[in-house]
Amino acid sequence: MRREALHFKVGDKNIADLAQMDMIALDEWANSIDSQLTERQLLIAKDILKEIRFRLEFLLQVGLDYLSLDRPARTLSGGEAQRIRLATQIGSQLTGITYILDEPSIGLHQRDNQRLIEALRELTDIGNTVLVVEHDRDIMIASDYLIDLGPGAGRFGGELVAHGKPADIIQSGQTITSAYLSRKKDILLPTKRREGNGLFLELYGATGNNLQNVDIRIPLGTFCCVTGVSGSGKSTLINETLYPILQQHLHNSLKPPMAYRAINGLDLVDKVIDIDQSPIGRTPRSNPATYTGVFTDIRNLFAELPEAKIRGYKPGRFSFNVKGGRCETCEGSGMRRIEMNFLPDVYVDCETCLGRRYNRETLEILYKGKSINDVLEMPVSEAAVFFEHIPKIFRKLKTLNEVGLGYITLGQQATTLSGGEAQRVKLAEELSRRDTGKTVYILDEPTTGLHFEDIQYLLKVLNKLVDKGNTVIVIEHNLDVIKVADYILDMGPEGGRRGGMLVTEGTPEQVAACKESHTGIHLAMELAASKKGG
Amino acid sequence: MAQTASPEAAGLAAPMSEEDFISVIGAREHNLKDIDVVIPRNQLVVVTGISGSGKSSLAFDTIYAEGQRRYMETFSAYARQFIGEMERPDVEQITGLSPVISIEQKTTGRNPRSTVGTVTEVYDFLRLLFARVGEAYSYETGKKMVAWTEDQIREQIQADFNGRKVLVLAPLVRGRKGHYRELFEQMRKQGYTKMRIDGEMEDILAGMQLDRYKVHDIELVIDRLSVTADKSERLANSISTALRMGNDLIMIADHEDGSVQAFSRNLMDAESGLSYEEPSPNTFSFNSPYGYCPSCKGLGVVNKVDEDKVIPDRNKSINDGGIAPLGEVRDNATFKQLRAMSKKYKFTFSTPIKDIPEQALHALLYGTGAGASAANDGHYDPSFDLGKEGLIAMLERWHENSTSEKIRQWAEDYMTISTCAGM
Repeated sequence: MRREALHFKVGDKNIADLAQMDMIALDEWANSIDSQLTERQLLIAKDILKEIRFRLEFLLQVGLDYLSLDRPARTLSGGEAQRIRLATQIGSQLTGITYILDEPSIGLHQRDNQRLIEALRELTDIGNTVLVVEHDRDIMIASDYLIDLGPGAGRFGGELVAHGKPADIIQSGQTITSAYLSRKKDILLPTKRREGNGLFLELYGATGNNLQNVDIRIPLGTFCCVTGVSGSGKSTLINETLYPILQQHLHNSLKPPMAYRAINGLDLVDKVIDIDQSPIGRTPRSNPATYTGVFTDIRNLFAELPEAKIRGYKPGRFSFNVKGGRCETCEGSGMRRIEMNFLPDVYVDCETCLGRRYNRETLEILYKGKSINDVLEMPVSEAAVFFEHIPKIFRKLKTLNEVGLGYITLGQQATTLSGGEAQRVKLAEELSRRDTGKTVYILDEPTTGLHFEDIQYLLKVLNKLVDKGNTVIVIEHNLDVIKVADYILDMGPEGGRRGGMLVTEGTPEQVAACKESHTGIHLAMELAASKKGG
Repeated sequence: MAQTASPEAAGLAAPMSEEDFISVIGAREHNLKDIDVVIPRNQLVVVTGISGSGKSSLAFDTIYAEGQRRYMETFSAYARQFIGEMERPDVEQITGLSPVISIEQKTTGRNPRSTVGTVTEVYDFLRLLFARVGEAYSYETGKKMVAWTEDQIREQIQADFNGRKVLVLAPLVRGRKGHYRELFEQMRKQGYTKMRIDGEMEDILAGMQLDRYKVHDIELVIDRLSVTADKSERLANSISTALRMGNDLIMIADHEDGSVQAFSRNLMDAESGLSYEEPSPNTFSFNSPYGYCPSCKGLGVVNKVDEDKVIPDRNKSINDGGIAPLGEVRDNATFKQLRAMSKKYKFTFSTPIKDIPEQALHALLYGTGAGASAANDGHYDPSFDLGKEGLIAMLERWHENSTSEKIRQWAEDYMTISTCAGM
């Protein structure tokens, strides 16, 4: 800001002061400013202030009270950005619109769910249709109408299995969703919480962003969950402080961690793996096989076959992305795009290879009676059995299967994978690397896009890692995950300036007993419901 | 395949009228199995199902895609050729669809200028608020600043100087050096006869000039009059002329005691004479040159070249890649220039950097300002002169001006980000 600009004041604040306030403080200011203005000023400012208050109100409503106006948009999480856009839309007061939202509850603490539902209600009340793709129990139950697709995934899905009022669906209890909603089926609490191996990773005096000199002790060899309302400092603590410290120590990374005083127990960890929310490749030439690297191994396997050796085929011969083995008519995509000029483009199977991506010679190389293209067409679960005897390939396919992706085919284009699927491909890729038994896995909201049933799978994988002695640190809002954790670190109590402290820690039962913790209150309800249902 | 489009056919209990639902018939996008879905309007509807069951295919790839496509169809064929054709979703029919807006999770963009305030538009309204009702305070004296209209100035003069004789002055020069011969000549030709120069009244004479090495204040005398009610019109005219001549600034001097009062149509601090431009919403924008801090351009952070990153290890020599941005020794213009410098300052490429003479290192990093460091082999490019500009300035210039993201990234590797003190 220019010097001049900062010397204009309304009331006793300049514009930069206001931009640095969080939404709550700003709202207070906007509501109290009237008394400080002269009559003439008030006349001019009336409409402007009305707009400002209006917008602030919606921002508060969607649970973004901890943000300040000068927060750069690129540092917002996807969920936050979505809720800002939601607030803007409510503010626009349009009617007769169909709004489509993708999992608005992501990154939102249970406490704020209710406010989100109210915000969505506001949209429908003024005459809009709101269509939400969602897995959150609260939002499903609060909705007017539920559309349940299934029954399985991929080839086994795509059918309408139930639709109607949520209450009716719960009562009918025929689908997986309704079974979970009615708690006929539930993510069960573990019979015993792990206590870890008695060793701790200790971080002292973390002060990055809003953290207020936080000391944490993470028990190694446990499934550890970091919770707290949005903006309470979970990500700062784990992603910006702990992860870079470990990275620096173990992998000579250059990224500097946020401020902290001391760390203990670094020698107890020998590897750290972070699985963040960024998407995998967005090109149709990328697929689960290429992304996880399993395709390289499969190509090598094909190149090692006697017939391939006789013909002198190298691994490149079996790639559909380079010249040599692929069908040159469709350049390995198996499809041809026909441009229709005035009508949308039409995709048809390539007439030369008949959708098989490779030329005739390449397809003549068979492994156990299957060509390279047959392999790409295989669902992961089938391929895992097929490659059972090739450990390198098998291990990767097995993890893909374990994260619940057994139904996708190896050659499925990355662009056709759903958000949740893409994230789990990534998860599988990380999980298939050999663990050391002393590895720390850090996951930021891995339940994004996951249905109850999928979470079940995910927890199974994560628990397996912990059972081998590794430590899993998860930043999560989903109570189904929180309740099965071995150890919880709850940040808060609120977001922004009123957060940044460790409110409570311990087992889910201990946290649930803490009255000051927002997480605790909701966790207590969930634990009670879960016990009753189970 | 469904042939009828009634809610009953889709299994909805209560019959509804056409307007009450969006009906999707025969959706086959991705893995959807030719399904019919009825979505009640003006309600909160949740689509659920396990991952990969086709939720997104239904909500986004079918309903949203169709809504978008229909919107596109409203453009003329001419306009559409620029947008490109939207793919028609694989669906039999969708009826009752109202305009569709999708609120996705994509982060709103990587632009550093986009903030919560700009995205929500709250900041835009705050800017407007400050431009319209903000009160200005001088950054020199901390006093409140006021802008006057012509009428307000007249009324104020009539109140303050009632019955007294005053000079209406238009300031032309404030605290600047020069002889101002042309200015006097020009004013003389326009018919003005008197000036107040450095506080003294003087007649404008032909060929008159001032000491060009001294600082001067020059005001043009527009009028000399007594402030009385009957001369109100004359006063108004004089004020108007003075404001025109004095660039929106006017001074009123008391004829007897010589005390001066200044008024400005712009925001001005009467004490120091500091004046701000009339604020507009732009003034408060950190994205506009009218508002942003000149040193960080509104980003709040500045990238400065970090000497420790340029020379990470002072025990290394230039041969070992001791000057990181230059990398290994190659036969190119940079190293030719460097070689010329090494001759001039008497060090070699194998000297560890800590042993290179201080003066030489300073010249290398910060430049000498003096021209080419030899190496004029016909390919000399004056915009690329290490000895003249210095490595650090060069990195900064590339960082700021380069059109290549790669080069900018490369330069940024040798910089540290610090908070701009301006904000």
